[in-house]
Amino acid sequence: MASRKSERLINLTMALLATKRYLTKSEIFRSIEGYEGTPSTKERMFERDKDDLRKIGIVIDVRGIDPLFDDEPGYRIHREAYSLNLGEISGAEVALLSLAAEAWRGAALGKPAQSALIKLRSLGIASDFDALPHISPKLAVNSSNFVPLTRAIAERITINFRYMSSNLQEELRVVNPYGLGSRKGNWYLVGHDIPRASLRTFRLDRIVSEIEFQSKASSFQPDSDFNILAFLDAHLFEANNTAQVRIRSGRGHALRKEARLISSDEEFDLFELAYPDESGFIDSILWHGDDVVVLAPQALRDKVIEKLKALVAVHG
Amino acid sequence: MVNPVQNPGLDRTARLLDLVPYLMVHQGIALPDLAEQFSIPVAQLTEDLTTLWMCGLPGYTALELMDLSFDTGYVSISNAETLSSPRTLNRDEVLALLLGLQTILESLFSGNQELVLPVESLISKLSDLSEAKIANQVQSGTSVPSLLRGDIEIAIATRAAIRITYHSLTRDAITDRVIHPLEFSTSHDSEYLYAYCEKSQGYRTFKLDRVLSLSQSPNSEERLETQILEESAAPTVINIVVTSRSRDVAERFGIAAEKFENSAQPEVAVESFSPDWAVREIMSFGGEVSLESPDNLRKSLLGRSQRALGGYN
Repeated sequence: MASRKSERLINLTMALLATKRYLTKSEIFRSIEGYEGTPSTKERMFERDKDDLRKIGIVIDVRGIDPLFDDEPGYRIHREAYSLNLGEISGAEVALLSLAAEAWRGAALGKPAQSALIKLRSLGIASDFDALPHISPKLAVNSSNFVPLTRAIAERITINFRYMSSNLQEELRVVNPYGLGSRKGNWYLVGHDIPRASLRTFRLDRIVSEIEFQSKASSFQPDSDFNILAFLDAHLFEANNTAQVRIRSGRGHALRKEARLISSDEEFDLFELAYPDESGFIDSILWHGDDVVVLAPQALRDKVIEKLKALVAVHG
Repeated sequence: MVNPVQNPGLDRTARLLDLVPYLMVHQGIALPDLAEQFSIPVAQLTEDLTTLWMCGLPGYTALELMDLSFDTGYVSISNAETLSSPRTLNRDEVLALLLGLQTILESLFSGNQELVLPVESLISKLSDLSEAKIANQVQSGTSVPSLLRGDIEIAIATRAAIRITYHSLTRDAITDRVIHPLEFSTSHDSEYLYAYCEKSQGYRTFKLDRVLSLSQSPNSEERLETQILEESAAPTVINIVVTSRSRDVAERFGIAAEKFENSAQPEVAVESFSPDWAVREIMSFGGEVSLESPDNLRKSLLGRSQRALGGYN
């Protein structure tokens, strides 16, 4: 029965926390309620219990008792490893942490956020919400893949999933996941795409299947200093290209913000501006119609002209 | 290989362990309140408490067992010092708090600078925990506070006005204004909002990550009647044909991929509260989308494209 098993796990946890020295298996079987049956049944029960406690984050320390004979190992749980320890923590800090947990309401990490909140509220420190401004941050990501992805990243498990390609085909991808991060409202997975043998970026909402684990833990080794936001900024959002554009006076504010003014005449201002990705930049030029004209580089100019000709041809 | 499923029995054991320290600092809490905190039905909670009541230290006499009382409808606990400290945070919990703190950091703007340091110090405190070893690998860096986006979406759907504080980079000025949001768009990897702005008495484009704060406009109901309705009471239905199999187009106009299975060039009707904006959006796809009707918009798009092309002669 499930209750008996829970009871035994709790009794075991309590005994191993309370003991001042390491307990041997025979002491455990003799004194802790719930270990019954033949010696080998008890052994199996105990092994499974240790495993189960580890799964819920309780670490049992094992040590040989006699350094000379090394006969029977002993077990205990260290209080420092068991307990939440955030050092000195103020009511205002507890309030901030509560707010951080609340940000997940209804989203992917809602459940762990709630259990974290309970642990914080068990510290016995009154939260000081007066110190907070009236903000209510919210994490909107609710992909069911979020939790399995963080696990695959932490445990270094190779995954596969179906991904919507740029020409709307679903493709099977096999990836060693390195990181998960958000920028400008989208969440991205970065990982080593095994068949393509290179680091690739995947937008979370374009993963159209559940992710599947296809290896054991610790199957690969990402770069030790991998930082997801630094990677996304360098690869998706760093403006590595420059163009010269003419923008009509009083128009194109979105483009002007990131641009350097070179010269102006009555009708137009000439700017130099940097942009990260060409196709997005072309979209933006077209969006502005005759308020923006690309002068250089020639290749970019040609592409814009070609698209404008296509627009005229399609609608003429 | 199938993903491992959560084990309900272990979830329960974890919950039992977490109930004890919570009760130690919430002695006398009412059963329904406690059940709500732990997101479980009251019946499950009484079962949990009954199980806990059987647990204790070796010996298992009244001296060693935890003592719980809850038959009055209020819960108290004693003789439970062994489990009195809350358990350490697990990986998912640390991650949830870290990402939550990063989101708070992004929601702070110039008005709450005094909170930046405390939030940053909590982030570094949590990052030091051994359970936070993937702190560099999973991070939230949304530049647009998602709450803001949600509120604007509601305003668009309900045709309500909102009051925003906006930082205009071009003029480098921070202003308060009441706007009537009409459409979102993404261009150049930035999000924009197209709205009627009462301050400038006209339609304006706002870069979302420059919106510093947002609140309900006190008199939005009444504004709705007077200002906006005449110009865009109902959305215009625009028929488009998608001429190439493009994910960007499908995402922009919310077209399901299956549409392309039935037809190589699917025809779709989209609604827009601001036809002028819609024409620009369609133009930005450079011929991958053909605007079929209404005819006046098709003509306007053609004229605009011809003028733009003229700029290159």
